[in-house]
Amino acid sequence: MKKLALLLGIFSLSFAQESLEKPQKEQAKEETQKSQPLDRSLQLRSKFDDRLMAMQIGTFRQSAFLPDISLIVDTSLLGRNIKDKELEHLKIPGLYHKHENAHGHGELNKNRGFNLNYAELYFYAPVDPYFDLYATIPFTEEGAKIEEAYAVTRGLPLGFQLKVGKFRSGFGRLNAQHPHAWDFANQPLVYKVFLGEGLTEKGIQINWLAPTPFYLLLGAEVLQGENEQSFGTNGFEIGGVEVPETRKPNLYVGFVKTSFDIGSLSVLTGFSYAQGKTRIDHGEHAFAGKTKLYGFDLTARYSLDAVRYIAFQGEYLYRDQKGTKYEFDATTEDLKKKQGGFYTQLVARLDKRWRAGIQYNLINKNDITDKNLPKNLPAYYAMVEYSPTEFSRIRLQAGQNRAFYENGKRKTINEVILQFTFAIGAHGAHPF
Amino acid sequence: MKRLITLLLLSLSISFAQLRVATTYPWIGELVKDVGGDKISLYVIAKPTEDFHFVVPKPSHIAKLRNVDLLIINGASLEIGFLPPLIQQSNNPKIQPGRKGLLDLSSFVDLIEKPAVVSREMGDVHPEGNPHYHLNPHHIPLLAKAIKERMCELDQTNCGYYTSRLEDFLKRWSQKLKEWDEGFSNLKDLKVVQYHKTYNYLFKHYGIQIVGTLEPLPGIPPTARHLEELSKVAKGAKFVVYEVFRDSKPANNLAKVIGARAIVLPHDVGVEGVKNLFDLFDVILERLSQ
Repeated sequence: MKKLALLLGIFSLSFAQESLEKPQKEQAKEETQKSQPLDRSLQLRSKFDDRLMAMQIGTFRQSAFLPDISLIVDTSLLGRNIKDKELEHLKIPGLYHKHENAHGHGELNKNRGFNLNYAELYFYAPVDPYFDLYATIPFTEEGAKIEEAYAVTRGLPLGFQLKVGKFRSGFGRLNAQHPHAWDFANQPLVYKVFLGEGLTEKGIQINWLAPTPFYLLLGAEVLQGENEQSFGTNGFEIGGVEVPETRKPNLYVGFVKTSFDIGSLSVLTGFSYAQGKTRIDHGEHAFAGKTKLYGFDLTARYSLDAVRYIAFQGEYLYRDQKGTKYEFDATTEDLKKKQGGFYTQLVARLDKRWRAGIQYNLINKNDITDKNLPKNLPAYYAMVEYSPTEFSRIRLQAGQNRAFYENGKRKTINEVILQFTFAIGAHGAHPF
Repeated sequence: MKRLITLLLLSLSISFAQLRVATTYPWIGELVKDVGGDKISLYVIAKPTEDFHFVVPKPSHIAKLRNVDLLIINGASLEIGFLPPLIQQSNNPKIQPGRKGLLDLSSFVDLIEKPAVVSREMGDVHPEGNPHYHLNPHHIPLLAKAIKERMCELDQTNCGYYTSRLEDFLKRWSQKLKEWDEGFSNLKDLKVVQYHKTYNYLFKHYGIQIVGTLEPLPGIPPTARHLEELSKVAKGAKFVVYEVFRDSKPANNLAKVIGARAIVLPHDVGVEGVKNLFDLFDVILERLSQ
């Protein structure tokens, strides 16, 4: 009986062993099958640990969305027959005298000797599928100004486009161009006297490109109207008389531009109109009234070949101003001003790197009630420029300005400017 | 009366059905014509006599771009100097970047000479690589297909028409490809100097040796010193080739010094002797084989 029990025990043990062995084998088999995934999960595990310990710095990185950024530097060497201090006291009778209120780029090529005119930051990027954003921020040695910061629609139907922010008005031809795109070192005389550094205002523009086979653009703007030469919004008190501020926004602009080609000749012409109230306060005297500004422009560019061209450009500006002049001694005077002038220029591109041009400026209308002001105020300039690439330019400009007066006597200004302009970074192409 | 109305509707629908396409360069326009036939209207911005980098952004182009459904461009920054303001001023939402109406063909080919780093001290180098990819005839079928696909997407009613025209074009092209492959392979190891890196895709594909460019750096006009240096290394070159819009003087001067021939090679459709894309490669082959 004992034997039997032993036998049974051995049997059961062996059975149990067998039964144990079987799953063990199976397990081993399964393990070899599983070994790879197991290793892999280990790998993942260690990778996971690595990642857990790593500094997660890239999570919110948005550098791929960096906008186009460029920097444009304009510097010049200037020679002039009038000392800088003297120049500040010169006037263009009935049209211009210096006062501290310049904005945007500030006055270009101001001093004799070296000038750093500006270092201008430019930004561009689409905001989203619906808007593009542009900003132009010129730095001068005195600080930075926001010259332009505006959004433009990119999806309006039927040929409409909306612009909102602060921007160079579509008035005229040259106004919308940045100084580095000008053909001469300074703005034309008519721009200087009627618009100062240019009509750059806060506001809104709507333009419509007509569905015509030729180019026809109509635009309207509602602007704040703070331009220091022709408009202005703030009220003032002078000699005990108080003049209230204007309605704001103050300035309304409309323009129409058209263009067509005749063979190798491209013509672009436009008519512009601006209307607003005027508040100009110079401390010892001031002017309040309303101003209408008319502009006509014509550009004609004839291409000789893929490189050379001759381009004519001209603009006539006419200002019709009515208002009251206030003196610090409380005297007032009703004034009617009708003033106008133009510039015309011819620029030729001689080869890939050289351009040359001449510009003639004339103020030929200068009528102010009961005043006998000079009506023949010219300035003329000639320039030669060398551009090693599209990103650098060296320009030599010489000219004479016969528009300035001192104590009723004409003071001729002779000027030579050697101007250097450089651009780095991502800068958008210029329109026509 | 009924017939008149249906006729009127039909003519209206036909005039509406026309897909309005604009292209930056004439060669793209040729592909559009080959695929689109009379179901499309076409406007080409650049003239073949214009430097492809410096097309004048005339306002007349803006007026035309206002009304198009599709603008097809070369891409790879070749149009960077004139096209962005034209698109921006066109007031046409369809062709703004990111929309279906703008097709950049450079994304359909592998661009060569893509620089690892870019700086403007290297001249006019394109970060994307050499943008003159259309001058390899083996690229053309790919580009034609891409154009057809996009035209089908925008104009499904005429897709069958475009497809059959594409097939016809591809058949004719593959026949010519055999001819060109044979002809150009005879020119293997021919040494040439070129004005700009315009023909690199063609020359590199067929083993034609480029011994130098007249431009010291891309976009920088030839200088006397560079030409002198070039004359030392370019001995043995048979041709100095340049595009029709270039100044011929530097090419002629160098050719004289190194005993080569200065010849104009067509770069696009519309230059003398080149009425279509087939002519383009025929004429290049013919001029290089002389």
